[in-house]
Amino acid sequence: MHDAPLNPYLPDPPVALDLTRAILARTSGSPCLRVQDLACHFVDGELEATQERLVRGHLDHCEDCAHLMKALALATTLLPRMAEADPGPWFTARVMRATVHATRRSHEWRATWMQLLHRPRIALEAAYLGTAVSLLGLSLPMPESLPAPRALVRTLSPEPLLVPLKAPAQRMLGQLVAAEKRTVASVQRGLKLDGAAAEGATSAGWWQRGSVRVRGWLRGLKGMSEEKAPTPANP
Amino acid sequence: MPTSLQDPLRNGDPLAWEAFVRAYQGRVYGLAYHYTTQAEDARDLTQDVFVRIYQNLAMLPGEEGRLPWILRITRNACIDHLRRRKARPPLWDGPAEELFHLRSPELNPEEAHLEQVRAARVHQALQELTYLNREILLLKEIQGLKVEAIAEILEVPVGTVKSRSNRARLELAQKLTAIGMGA
Repeated sequence: MHDAPLNPYLPDPPVALDLTRAILARTSGSPCLRVQDLACHFVDGELEATQERLVRGHLDHCEDCAHLMKALALATTLLPRMAEADPGPWFTARVMRATVHATRRSHEWRATWMQLLHRPRIALEAAYLGTAVSLLGLSLPMPESLPAPRALVRTLSPEPLLVPLKAPAQRMLGQLVAAEKRTVASVQRGLKLDGAAAEGATSAGWWQRGSVRVRGWLRGLKGMSEEKAPTPANP
Repeated sequence: MPTSLQDPLRNGDPLAWEAFVRAYQGRVYGLAYHYTTQAEDARDLTQDVFVRIYQNLAMLPGEEGRLPWILRITRNACIDHLRRRKARPPLWDGPAEELFHLRSPELNPEEAHLEQVRAARVHQALQELTYLNREILLLKEIQGLKVEAIAEILEVPVGTVKSRSNRARLELAQKLTAIGMGA
């Protein structure tokens, strides 16, 4: 058998990628993990020249790492451009309405109110308004379902109401109820009328009887003044 | 000269306030959009943020600390909004908008459109990251804050931000590769 001599000028036979991977797997492990560790520094240009050359050498042969590096570079360029977005043409006006204009409106309301309060006639107007409201409240008819004042006072016995209250409040309410009872009793004493029972008297009856009583006093006073007046001398 | 007159913005000058809104509305809206992924929600949140800032103009920091302060308010508002939305989801949740309307006046319309499509994909990939990684990317890579400011906002150690930063970028790149952007 005749062996042909090897030609020293022939190129090296192509080496399969699988062979490199197999060798690396049995020796140093996959270099892709190392490239991933260095990827960000590589994209940012922070690697030393030797390391950069080694990474480039790996990228020339590893398609996955090349794609990853390309995506990382793309993200690195694109991310800072995403800092600002356009909210639309009318957005500034909308914010201005919600801030300056709204605040201005509330300031205007406040200023108007303060101006009203600082007028010299405000005390007189407040008193007038208060009186009007009080009179209106007093002259409104009471609903029939409510008990008469006397009966109301009777129902306001302090015991059931004062259960949840503390001692000072209990004392104060007791004093209020006692004062109310005394007032009602004195009014009844003053309005002793013939055959009229004070029990169950309405407020309208009190007024009528009071006015009759006052008219009687006035009549009596008038009679006394006529008696005391000097009689003219007969000619 | 009184201090209040030196800074018309703090003095409540409407023109200064308008300039301020124009200067920062893109930033605030951009961050709010990344958090909420809904344009209308992001607009409402941005408006709320500016109302809050307007009510606290006296506390507005100087030029250096201004952006971190604004972004912190925006982040807090977004997190509150997301909590509310989680607790009471809206009856109708509109689809996320396809394009992310970037501010890129220097590009021609075709390039601008391509950029918007890419940005929309990056935005989509960002949503798939872990929460902390996404926040670090939003504040560091997108908003350009310093590591110390990010650590203060996120209430994590500076070392965590540093170590997480590169990992987050790599994770994002892997997501982008998975959707075919690196090919």
